[in-house]
Amino acid sequence: MSNKELTFQKIAVAIAFSPRCEAMIAEAKLLQQTFHSQLVFVHVGKKSLQEEQYLKHLIHRFNLDGASTNIIWEQGDPVETILQVCQDQKIDLLVAGALEKEGIIKYFFGGISRQLSRKAKCSMLMLTEPKIHPTGFKHLVVEGTDHPKTEYTIAKAVEIARAFGSKSIDIIQESDESKLALIRSEDFKEKEADDHKEALHKEEDEKLEEILRCTDCGELIINTERIEGKPGYVISKFSRDKESDLLILNSPDKPMNLLDRVFPHDIEYALSDLPCNLLIIHSKDSE
Amino acid sequence: MSVLSHSENISVILSLGLMLIAARLFGEFFRKLKMPLVVGELIAGVVLGPSFLGYFYPNISTIIFTQNEHAAIALSGIINISIIMLLFVAGMELNLSLIRQQGKAAFSTSVFGLIIPLAMGFAIGYFGYNLFGENSTDKIAFALFIGTSMAISALPVIARTLLDLNLFRTKVGSIIITAAMFNDLIGWILFSVIIGMLKGSAHHSLLFTLLYTIGYALVMLTAGRFFINKSMPWAEKNFSWPGGFLSLSLGLAFLGAAFTEYIGLHAIFGAFIIGISIGDSVHVTEKMKDNVSQFVTNIFAPLFFVSIGFKVNFLNHFDLQITLVVLILAIVGKISGAYLGAKLGGLSNKESLAIGFGLNARGAMEIILAILALQAKLIGEDLFVAIVIMAVVTSVLAGPMLNWLLKPKAIGIETN
Repeated sequence: MSNKELTFQKIAVAIAFSPRCEAMIAEAKLLQQTFHSQLVFVHVGKKSLQEEQYLKHLIHRFNLDGASTNIIWEQGDPVETILQVCQDQKIDLLVAGALEKEGIIKYFFGGISRQLSRKAKCSMLMLTEPKIHPTGFKHLVVEGTDHPKTEYTIAKAVEIARAFGSKSIDIIQESDESKLALIRSEDFKEKEADDHKEALHKEEDEKLEEILRCTDCGELIINTERIEGKPGYVISKFSRDKESDLLILNSPDKPMNLLDRVFPHDIEYALSDLPCNLLIIHSKDSE
Repeated sequence: MSVLSHSENISVILSLGLMLIAARLFGEFFRKLKMPLVVGELIAGVVLGPSFLGYFYPNISTIIFTQNEHAAIALSGIINISIIMLLFVAGMELNLSLIRQQGKAAFSTSVFGLIIPLAMGFAIGYFGYNLFGENSTDKIAFALFIGTSMAISALPVIARTLLDLNLFRTKVGSIIITAAMFNDLIGWILFSVIIGMLKGSAHHSLLFTLLYTIGYALVMLTAGRFFINKSMPWAEKNFSWPGGFLSLSLGLAFLGAAFTEYIGLHAIFGAFIIGISIGDSVHVTEKMKDNVSQFVTNIFAPLFFVSIGFKVNFLNHFDLQITLVVLILAIVGKISGAYLGAKLGGLSNKESLAIGFGLNARGAMEIILAILALQAKLIGEDLFVAIVIMAVVTSVLAGPMLNWLLKPKAIGIETN
């Protein structure tokens, strides 16, 4: 995997002229500086002179006016339009603001950034508390589940951590023991069940070690931890408990729909109550 | 309030003690022979019941188990509670999110692995009603039951077999587990409808039975599951834990069971759905589930399976013709359905066949289904014995067949 593949070359920022608009642009500036990316600001809605001038003013204030910044105004359905822009512009990372928690109706029927996160074909960063003076991400929690996408996600996480000068990252292996627990209702011996469990964990540990061996971590300290529980929920809880500022997860294997919210699994646990900023890594290699 | 007399008390306690010890001894013996524990427990029942002890030593058998009516009723009550708890645990083992996440291959395997044996069973049940359905008064319900009994699988037996063969984390293993969960979920809903049709026919129509069943399942799996999940942290904070979980979860299971029994469905359905709702909570750890599961599967499951031997004389009611028909129907229906589904999902011939044999294991769930059908007078004792034999044979067959078809090194099975 080359370095070129690992950077966010083109970042799109969804702009909504909310009170957090200025902070979103400040965060975009930090990302642009850190990854030397091109920026594309996307706003879906009717173009008004006042909003246009305000956006230009902010872009100028943050020294973002230049060849590497582009503004796109579109009309139509916000989610579909932003996704189309991402596809047309070959965006690597889509950034949007998001509330930590949405009301139950809005959650089930979909706020814009959560809908984007379920459908985006590129990586997506959801900022829960964008700051006017952003400090970057120092404490990262990363998904280390045994999955084909994990290698790419970890590589990306390591690069982000190093770019922001983090000292360490936590890689969490989530162990869903529900399938393994099935044998407990059958004729099992405790030691036998534990041996099976240990063998499965060992296999996963070896895979993770191999991934980390192949990843250039530099001085970064990698902490790995295995937590039993429902995937998506346990890593979210860990992230909240540790007060991390960025949770990094694999992208969903298939587009999520209403049923996935009614019967939540994996990333939906994090989306239902964001523990911190959330970065969903879309691994193009695994498509 | 009338209470059991001194001798009745002794009879009940003695029965329970003997049943548990016999179940363990026979179960362990059969486990050594690489057979499921449940086979030994059933044989223990046959030995202690009318087929053996009752036949050769009727006096001893009468003294211990059926000395008087009150003791028999008390024992019957304990057995009924055992079935409710068993289904509650079976529900807790179902992983809804796993079913939701299933890919194309798992989905087609689940659907065809359910529909083909269901349709074949229904057809044989409907057209063979005169041959097998002598005990049933409702032809459609009987045919539906035969279909349902062909459609369900035995998750624990399957999981155990996959682990033993080191296939648990393979793609094939995942598909088998997911499809078995899906088949069980739909199978128990169908069974509830059938029992509702029989019990409720005097009070409400088939349409209402369907509405009650689907309505209860929907409400409990959405709103009920949501409230259970939300209240778990509160309960954990305020009650002693995990002891509190044991009493609360079983308490809820009994309430659910009482409610479904009240509305004309079977009590087990209420407990099964509550089990799914509780098992799906993010706050319920495997350790907590394990506590309940150990309690139920090592005390109440053996009592239930041993009691089956008391109810039926296996020797008198063994009918080779019916047994062969049931066995062939079960094996052909399940394997062909799952094979077709897996093939449509893009798996190879060998993998598809292995999935068929994996899902073919029926185990304890099939026996529970059959005893409930027998109690509801949906089937006769000959058919019951045939179904029990089918459940045992298919469970025993699964391991060797999977091993033969999927020697991991030979075909380089894809892992997840």
